[in-house]
Amino acid sequence: MMSNVTNNTLTSVNQIKHLTPSTYIVRIERRELEFRAGQYILLGLPGYKNKREYSIYSGEMDPFIEVLIKEIQDGVVSKQLKEIRPGTKLVMDGPFGFFTLSPEQIETGKFLFIASGTGIAPFHSFVRSFAGLDYTILHGVRYLDEGYGKDDYDPKRYILCTTKDPEGNFHGRVTEYIKNHPVDNQTLCYLCGNSNMIHEMHDILTEQGVPNKNLHAEVYF
Amino acid sequence: MNKSDSERVRTVIERMGYTWTDDEETANLLGILACSVRQKAIDKVYTRIHKWNKWKQNKNLLSFVTGCVLPADKDKFLTLFDLVFTMEELPGLYDMIRQYGMVTPVGIAGKHVDPVLQDPLTQPVSDIDFSDINIVEIEKQNGNLTNGDLKPLKPRDQSAVKLGGFWTVKPRYTSQFEAFIPIQNGCDKFCTFCAVPYTRGREVSRSSEEILSEVKQLMEQGYKSITLLGQNVNSYGKDKKGDEISFPELLKKIGQLGDSKGHECWVYFTSPHPKDMSEDVIKVISRYSCLAKQIHLPIQSGDEKVLIKMNRNHTVEKYRKIVNAIHKWIPDATIFTDIIVGFTGETDSQFLNTRKAISEFKYNMAYIAMYSPRPGATSSRWKDDISHEIKKERLHILSEELKIYTRQYNENMVGKKYIVLVTGHDRKEGFLSGYTEGKIIVRFPSHDKKLIGKFVEIKIISAADFSVEGELIPIKEKERIG
Repeated sequence: MMSNVTNNTLTSVNQIKHLTPSTYIVRIERRELEFRAGQYILLGLPGYKNKREYSIYSGEMDPFIEVLIKEIQDGVVSKQLKEIRPGTKLVMDGPFGFFTLSPEQIETGKFLFIASGTGIAPFHSFVRSFAGLDYTILHGVRYLDEGYGKDDYDPKRYILCTTKDPEGNFHGRVTEYIKNHPVDNQTLCYLCGNSNMIHEMHDILTEQGVPNKNLHAEVYF
Repeated sequence: MNKSDSERVRTVIERMGYTWTDDEETANLLGILACSVRQKAIDKVYTRIHKWNKWKQNKNLLSFVTGCVLPADKDKFLTLFDLVFTMEELPGLYDMIRQYGMVTPVGIAGKHVDPVLQDPLTQPVSDIDFSDINIVEIEKQNGNLTNGDLKPLKPRDQSAVKLGGFWTVKPRYTSQFEAFIPIQNGCDKFCTFCAVPYTRGREVSRSSEEILSEVKQLMEQGYKSITLLGQNVNSYGKDKKGDEISFPELLKKIGQLGDSKGHECWVYFTSPHPKDMSEDVIKVISRYSCLAKQIHLPIQSGDEKVLIKMNRNHTVEKYRKIVNAIHKWIPDATIFTDIIVGFTGETDSQFLNTRKAISEFKYNMAYIAMYSPRPGATSSRWKDDISHEIKKERLHILSEELKIYTRQYNENMVGKKYIVLVTGHDRKEGFLSGYTEGKIIVRFPSHDKKLIGKFVEIKIISAADFSVEGELIPIKEKERIG
């Protein structure tokens, strides 16, 4: 029987996978955490007062929990976690958040997932959790190697927009891509990443006729 | 919430044999119930403790801080206060003081202290003015306090304290007609401007059985106004995942209880989150006369993008639907709100959308705050880039906008009769004041102290921006409403 962790619970690190010099995946013991794809947990080192929110990268049925972390230049926790090794204990709290899909939507909805950087994490969890999901991912990054987990998606459903690398599927920002490829107003649009991208995209999609009820956003800070 | 917390702190301390004093300078035990929601409140804590620590040079004094304390502040408080504890640790306060090497008056007398079993409804106490920092000032009855080599109690020491449930501490109500009942504690919403999830922890609901018992007892004692409290009061029950009734179900049971008592009582709740404000809640309020027709619905901003940045998890559209449902099911309801101006990056056009929200929703009251970053809250990591002058200007603009609608509403009250709960003396000499069921402040000329705590009927004769003035409709004593 799975249960919510909610209170600070000790868990162990199983694996650290470095994707780029600054971005890495931390895999931890699940500890019976029940969550909905799209939710996040608080994670930190025991004995330290700082914990940070990280969207769950793994799927609802995976036997472990994964989070995708980018080291922040002036950050505290992202630097600490980058140095940990398998076996390290972490404090986990959660799950939290409402950036989730309803069962009816999963069955019938047509989804557009728009991410910047590590904002891809909840979408990775959606795709791992719900087989047969009708989705398109638009992932905005600077360089090709920042297409985190791109091999985990159907290539026909994944569009990598690179701003500083001409080898992506689209050379430019996700906002430019959407300006050139308008979205129909029935599409359920989920935006995740930095607030500038989300605010700009919100305006573009609204202008294209996507109703507010079809716009969902999770800002990364 | 602070008022309810202080009532519980007072219960525990008085049970140890201490007595309350209004004279801070003569107290032997001084405490603060802190509020981390705004920086200003925390600044006041520091001012206060520095003053108390100077007094310690000349007298025996024990200090404590509890309530809403951020981890960063807690570290500093540990160096300034003798005791730092959370409200959940309150039942262990007696042991903390004892561990500290102190004897309590009751301890000296050899009595057993059981703060949990205190009867809350005995010995009425005088009204206390609770500001944003509530100070519990206690004077020891007997025994000798020895200040000695006092060191702050470290967190590891506190973990050894056997903790009881905070809910089980019965409060000493500070009023004989108004009571506050905590039903839920903590917050899982993580609004970016707020530190409550980090200070109060996760959402935890109190048992409905306990709540209903406390409500019943208060109603039987003749309490006229009862407010259910919680950081996210309408998320009540959700943490129990089906093992507890929902908020509308709880309201329904309270409504049935109140309406069966046959005397007037108004039950309020605060603060709800729009995300959890279902139409069921509104329908229940409409069905039971004891559920007050006043709804506090914080909007915080009228701009969609600011709401996203605040991580409010509701849109203006969703908010509009709730307000429409309130108008549909409870046409007479008054609506109050909370607004933050000058949130990080708030543009002129985004502010304009908040202004539009005021004119669209025509609030009866809005608690408007200038944004101030709280350490620990997510937004504290962002630049506080709106100048104080602009925040002040936006606050002024919104206040003026608000007055248009509050004044309109209040002027419509003129000539009509309202039931008013008299709460005390008004600042205006020779006047008493109180509020209507919709929490509109009413003042009327009277010197009759006996009316305080009673329901009276008032005919409104004039309106101001945030209050109305009226005259008492004389009724025979036996016909007096409450």
